[in-house]
Amino acid sequence: MVELLGAGILNVLQAKYLLSLVIGTLAGVVGGALPGVTITMTIILILPFTFGLDPLQGLAAMTGVYVGGSAGGLITACLIGIPGTPSTIATTFDGFPMAQKGQPGRAVWLGVWASFWGGLLGGVFLIAATGPLAAFALQFGPWEFFSLFVFALAMVAGLTGTSLVKGLISGAIGLMATIIGADPIMGVPRLTLGSEFLQGGFQFLPILIGIFAFAQIMTDIEKMSGGGPARDVARQAPSLSVSHLKIIAEVLGRPFLLLWSTFIGILIGVLPAIGGSAANIMAYDQAKKFSRHPERFGTGTPEGIIASESSNNANVGGSLVTIMAFGIPGDAVTAVMLGAMIIHGIQPGPLFISQEPRLAYGIFAAYLLAHPIMVLLIGAGARLFMRIVTVPKPVLIPVVLVFCVVGAYALNNTIENVYVLLLFGVVGYAMVKFAFPLAPLILGVVLGDQIEVNLVRAIMTDANPWLFLTRPISGTLIALSVVSVVLAIWQHYRAQARMAEAAEPDVDF
Amino acid sequence: MRKIVSLGVLFALVLVAAASLPAAYPDRPVKLIVPWAAGGDTDNIFRPFAPGLQKALGATVVIANVGGASGTVGAREAKNSPPDGYTLYAVHDYIHSTYYTGVSDVKYSDFEPVCLLSSTPSVLTASPKTKWTSWQELLADAKARPGQISVGATLGSTSHFFPALIEKAAGIKFKYVSYEGLAPRMNAILGGHIDLTDSNLTQKGKVDAGQLRFLAIATEKRSPEIPSVPTLKELGLNVVFSVERGLMVPKGTAGDVIAKLDAACAQASKEPAFAESMKKQGTEVRYLDRKAYAEYQKKLDDLNRELAKDLGLLKR
Amino acid sequence: MLGRDGWAGLVCLAGSLWLLTLTRGLPQPALVPIGPGFYPRIILGSTALLSALLVGADLLARRRAPGPRQGQTAGTAPPPRPRLPPGWPLVLTTFGLFTAYVLLLPGLGYRLATFLFVGALQAALEPRGRRRWIFIVVVAVATTWVTHLVFETYLSVLLPRGRWTAF
Repeated sequence: MVELLGAGILNVLQAKYLLSLVIGTLAGVVGGALPGVTITMTIILILPFTFGLDPLQGLAAMTGVYVGGSAGGLITACLIGIPGTPSTIATTFDGFPMAQKGQPGRAVWLGVWASFWGGLLGGVFLIAATGPLAAFALQFGPWEFFSLFVFALAMVAGLTGTSLVKGLISGAIGLMATIIGADPIMGVPRLTLGSEFLQGGFQFLPILIGIFAFAQIMTDIEKMSGGGPARDVARQAPSLSVSHLKIIAEVLGRPFLLLWSTFIGILIGVLPAIGGSAANIMAYDQAKKFSRHPERFGTGTPEGIIASESSNNANVGGSLVTIMAFGIPGDAVTAVMLGAMIIHGIQPGPLFISQEPRLAYGIFAAYLLAHPIMVLLIGAGARLFMRIVTVPKPVLIPVVLVFCVVGAYALNNTIENVYVLLLFGVVGYAMVKFAFPLAPLILGVVLGDQIEVNLVRAIMTDANPWLFLTRPISGTLIALSVVSVVLAIWQHYRAQARMAEAAEPDVDF
Repeated sequence: MRKIVSLGVLFALVLVAAASLPAAYPDRPVKLIVPWAAGGDTDNIFRPFAPGLQKALGATVVIANVGGASGTVGAREAKNSPPDGYTLYAVHDYIHSTYYTGVSDVKYSDFEPVCLLSSTPSVLTASPKTKWTSWQELLADAKARPGQISVGATLGSTSHFFPALIEKAAGIKFKYVSYEGLAPRMNAILGGHIDLTDSNLTQKGKVDAGQLRFLAIATEKRSPEIPSVPTLKELGLNVVFSVERGLMVPKGTAGDVIAKLDAACAQASKEPAFAESMKKQGTEVRYLDRKAYAEYQKKLDDLNRELAKDLGLLKR
Repeated sequence: MLGRDGWAGLVCLAGSLWLLTLTRGLPQPALVPIGPGFYPRIILGSTALLSALLVGADLLARRRAPGPRQGQTAGTAPPPRPRLPPGWPLVLTTFGLFTAYVLLLPGLGYRLATFLFVGALQAALEPRGRRRWIFIVVVAVATTWVTHLVFETYLSVLLPRGRWTAF
């Protein structure tokens, strides 16, 4: 394994891979720093550029975006108090106050070095756990995969958003998108209304691009007409020079905090489709609970920054494990990466690491190397990135939309995919407006065909439907799905009851 | 002002004229539709072929993997593409078998043949979780448990026909499970979720590593790559089966364009790099020009209809 | 009267029931024990059920708290009624321009359509009548030219050529 990793690193150090990794990381840092451009968006924008590259080049670029994006958001979070991406929300809590107290350099670099160490620890887990987990996943037959996918959907539906029913409907809409078109087993056209266009079904990337890009861009546009934030907010970026050794010592001097936040990040990453936006807030919350001075949180304490930033980068490592061992995306970003892999002809899954060691270890190496690259890039250009943040939205939005169109078109070189992009753009925006969570939908779209195929395979292999429950792994997963749904309902009621209780004295007013 | 208008009109005319003039084919990149996921065996054959074709044709060749529904989705897309020579279609025998088994509504005659490229013999492959080490043991077990041994196959396609031919020749009955494409079948067979499948010499590495077992090869003579694996003929089953892959273009493509493509194909099939990569995959490079391929296709089509009929799968 | 969730639930309910009627008459292939209609029916059926639940929950919440008073509990207050978002004219314009772009793309070709779209959307999003035309044109030309160059030349992705313009 060590030799393979060494070979992987040497491989990625070749100019053509290193270049795409650096460009990817740079794009990630910039995209992460731009408020309103999430990592998912950045990766979607980078994706069409990788269609023509060799698979490892493409994946190195994606990995770079992912790592860079998780760190890039902290610059904006610390310096102007707006999270560059949702995964840096908790960084603003303490990063911005610290910067305002006259220590902007310390705030940014605490975040960067926390990201670095958290990310590397996540990388150790990634490399150590993927192999054994993949070996375990090889025991998964169609029953187990079916149940695993159901579990993933149930958990996401329960965890995201405020309403379990809405989460489940969102997931069901995603599944519905996959049943239109030729059925995956025999190619019987379904629900096509006789249309040639619908017969091919919907490809999942145009759906993904449409949903995410429009949900985000349109929300931005809504805000724009209401005046919007001043553009000159950070024209004169402050000096960020600090003593790096001191900062590193400050980060590593809190080993428990670092390890615990990293652990939370990894755990959330491994669980399907939750993602960095949950990880950083949860880690922050935990850090506050364990701290001897919880009252200092929110006023610019280093612990808050370290917890948030180490967890969101560790989360990347965890998500990559899930995608590489089981072939299911850990979050929206890895969902796009899964699509990218399939486009490049790689089906991640239990055999990925043993059949494509060059690629698998290439991804590991890219992940590890992206961290120092990220530190160097931020060191070299933090102030420059602050200027990019000031690109006016009226310029940014049309350009981003053009990229979306190119990305959807270039997938198959067919204009139909662009129509799908538009259709789901409308759907995505409508869903945001009606407060439906988007994550279950994405997972539904990504897993829909696989759920059906595995269901059919299971029944073709053995007609006994009870096997879904009596096979131990499958049964456990189904039980966990039920538990997560019940838990979501219970939590919902508890929250309501608590709110009612808390509101009681107010009634007297 | 008038000058400007007339200049504009002239300019527009020139543009239109330039657009309607038939530029020398090919003046832009060519798309090659592979109707299966990348990384499958069809993809593994056409990917190394593309650089040679690109060189011989003098235009970029872009591979587009359009998978789904036993290769039908890609076939439909190829059929509906404009017949201008800028869309090629990588095809194998499934185009006949899926048509006759009713999986697909696309027929080989919706296309014009360009050239035949390769021939890959099928190998009957068993999961390491089964107890059979030879065909005889499998046969005995299959007789004892009819309809219980599971076979992973792309339904209605070659990987379904091959085991079905064995079934018929040996008088046994398998149970089929849909696993589309070689890669998912390998996942399933390594995990022991299916017992048998059709594979080919590309999987030799896993056999050497003890992860898979080759039981028999469907060639006339034993393959020099795996001399220890008996042929089905030796075992008393008259089954010779291979998957033939070639290139086609949508019906209505101009004759000179096809001729040009065929010439490029002939040249590309002789590339040493291509030969090398085919050898690794246990595939024979077998070039036939467009005329010979057309005749061969007709023969294959009849053969597949016969097979479908014999196997009780004929739907048309 | 229904709230936001109720309307959304009704739309989903209607959609899934309509699709459910389309699954009738799907053939049953001999090779597969469960036909192509089996799985869609499960999905559409459960979507319909969930949508009905959502509508029901919305109605219930409204009955429990008719006309939420100021300062009343947030937990039992019904979800808000559908309202037009603040910047809706701009959102609508963007959707309109984007639709026009997508529809004109095959006819005009990538370069012309993209140039027009980037220019028009910039103009629409920058409401103040500042003299920024040159800037807008420069951005439009640069976007079009750079993407076209990079994708066609370096990444061998073919962008659509105009059916009417051959450009």
